[in-house]
Amino acid sequence: MPKYDVAIIGGGPGGYVAAIRGAQLGGRICVIEKGELGGTCLNWGCIPTKALIASTSVLRYINEAKRYGINIKGDVEADFPAIMERKNKVVATLVNGIKTVFKSYDIDLIKGTGSFLAPHRLKVTLPDGSTQEIEAEKVLIATGSVPAVIPAFPIDGKKIISSDEAVNLKEVPKSILIIGAGAIGCEFAFILHELGCQVTMVEMLAHAVPLEDIDTSKTMDRELKKRKIKLYCSQKVQKVKEDADGMMLATLESGEEIKAEKVLVSIGRVFNVKGLDLENIKVAQGRRGDILVNDRLETNVPGVYAIGDVIGGIMLAHVASKEGIVAVENALGGNKRIDYRVVPATIFSNPEIGSVGLKEREARKQGYDIRIGMFPYRALGKSHAMGEIVGQAKIIADAKTDKILGVHIVGAHATDLVHEAAIAIQHGLTAQQLGDTIHSHPTLSEALMEAAHDVHQIAIDMPKKN
Amino acid sequence: MGDEGYKFHKEHLWFKAEGDTALVGITDYAQQQLGDIVYVDLPDVGDEIKKDESLGEVESAKNLSDLIAPVSGEVIEINNDAVDDPSIINKDPMGEGWLLKVKLSDPSELDDLLSEEDYKKLAK
Ligand SMILES: Cc1cc2nc3c(=O)[nH]c(=O)nc-3n(C[C@H](O)[C@H](O)[C@H](O)COP(=O)(O)OP(=O)(O)OC[C@H]3O[C@@H](n4cnc5c(N)ncnc54)[C@H](O)[C@@H]3O)c2cc1C
Repeated sequence: MPKYDVAIIGGGPGGYVAAIRGAQLGGRICVIEKGELGGTCLNWGCIPTKALIASTSVLRYINEAKRYGINIKGDVEADFPAIMERKNKVVATLVNGIKTVFKSYDIDLIKGTGSFLAPHRLKVTLPDGSTQEIEAEKVLIATGSVPAVIPAFPIDGKKIISSDEAVNLKEVPKSILIIGAGAIGCEFAFILHELGCQVTMVEMLAHAVPLEDIDTSKTMDRELKKRKIKLYCSQKVQKVKEDADGMMLATLESGEEIKAEKVLVSIGRVFNVKGLDLENIKVAQGRRGDILVNDRLETNVPGVYAIGDVIGGIMLAHVASKEGIVAVENALGGNKRIDYRVVPATIFSNPEIGSVGLKEREARKQGYDIRIGMFPYRALGKSHAMGEIVGQAKIIADAKTDKILGVHIVGAHATDLVHEAAIAIQHGLTAQQLGDTIHSHPTLSEALMEAAHDVHQIAIDMPKKN
Repeated sequence: MGDEGYKFHKEHLWFKAEGDTALVGITDYAQQQLGDIVYVDLPDVGDEIKKDESLGEVESAKNLSDLIAPVSGEVIEINNDAVDDPSIINKDPMGEGWLLKVKLSDPSELDDLLSEEDYKKLAK
């Protein structure tokens, strides 16, 4: 029986990153993966959506070319199969990249479904149905998450779909109802809208991207409305059924009805523990099946660690990766703790969203006396030059110490801009220190510098406040 | 301007009675201050608007501002032409560029509005 220092179940951004770090530390490592390396993120999530967004952005620029003084002669059309093919190529390139790194570190990739026989003994069911046993000093569970479903509208993969099907659509539906206006729902709303699909959305909470800071949510509400994407807020879909004409008919709790060719359910994700035979090791789980861990990411079963989406918390790829690094270092004798205070989060809608640290409501709830600085993109030279004037940067600072507590950016390139703020918060910088740092002109980064000044009411390119 | 029918709210919206309904829009001064208007967000037909409260937003190259209702009432029509092409508001804010038609809920509110002369003193 092969014996490893660390066996990792699941090769997503949690598991594969843990494997590489484990090998760097000299461990003998295997990864058991039933699908493709890269997991949800690379095959079904982060990367496919961003590849699609790259295509729809090109289309948007072409459609808006006149605004920039460019006349396009002849027809412009999106070749959807070609867009998907490009996406598939991007994914394949990156999956192969991980395989190459694995080989270079002698990490064993075992293709199959892993389950527990005992805390340190695993069974792998290979695609042909045969099984293999593995022994490992330490085990990392990194099995991720799968789309949540609700009995009132079960996913059939054709008319009622999840993001798994949405990234592999064969053609652009004429109309779609998106249930859930969070990160995934909004990204698909803009992708499909650009491709000419009539999008309607329903959100249980009061705004689009409701978990973001309120000013970000309001901007997103407005941007959806601008594109005539109707968003029903504070509403629940009660049922969805197929109408006589083959269209889907959704009924809201208010009684209103929405008709669309397809329904995309993006209401969240559930912890993927199916088939792991966790009962064989008696690992402690939360109410919804999430695996419980301490701040060293070890479960109640000594030597068994869990990371990524399957432990809940902040379900993002880079969080899974960081957890993977911390867990494997601990598994190999280290003593690291995970720290979630500074986690940048990004949404690739149009406009983009980048946020880090406390939201205004969180800062107030935690009892901080706060000062807020805001600076609109439309007051920046670069925004006008680029023709992207929507959005703002918002800084929340502690009124006593001036330390930056949270930064919320919505607008072009917000997903890249937010990292300056992450460094500032990580290292306890004050709004004044951020504002005092010279920022290059003309750049969108000036929005952060100006928002930092605005914390003290001294933004330069804004009329005096009375 | 110069038309008797117009009344003004200090937050730069105008009001003009037409029978028991009224048109509402932004003033020429507001239009000049805003610069090129790129988007206007209006309530839906059937919504109630409330005097001195935001009824929507107007977004221009320079600014994003709330539209403050000059009166209270029910929205019975919105100017879809202006929504689709907000440059109409810049061109003719007091005419073609009107925003809403409302049915007044409290005609006594009109007494609080300004005459053109008083508004001009304020907006300069
Ligand atoms: C549409 C979409 C867009 C997203 N966009 C972003 C984004 O832009 N940025 C971001 O940070 N996050 C994004 N996410 C979230 C991100 O994908 C996840 O947070 C991340 O993939 C979690 O990583 P993980 O390693 O925990 O699990 P996963 O990536 O889910 O990987 C788990 C892996 O385990 C395998 N597995 C499961 N059970 C077994 C078993 N028993 N045996 C063997 N293998 C098994 C699965 O096949 C899978 O490959 C997005 C998600 C979706 C769905």
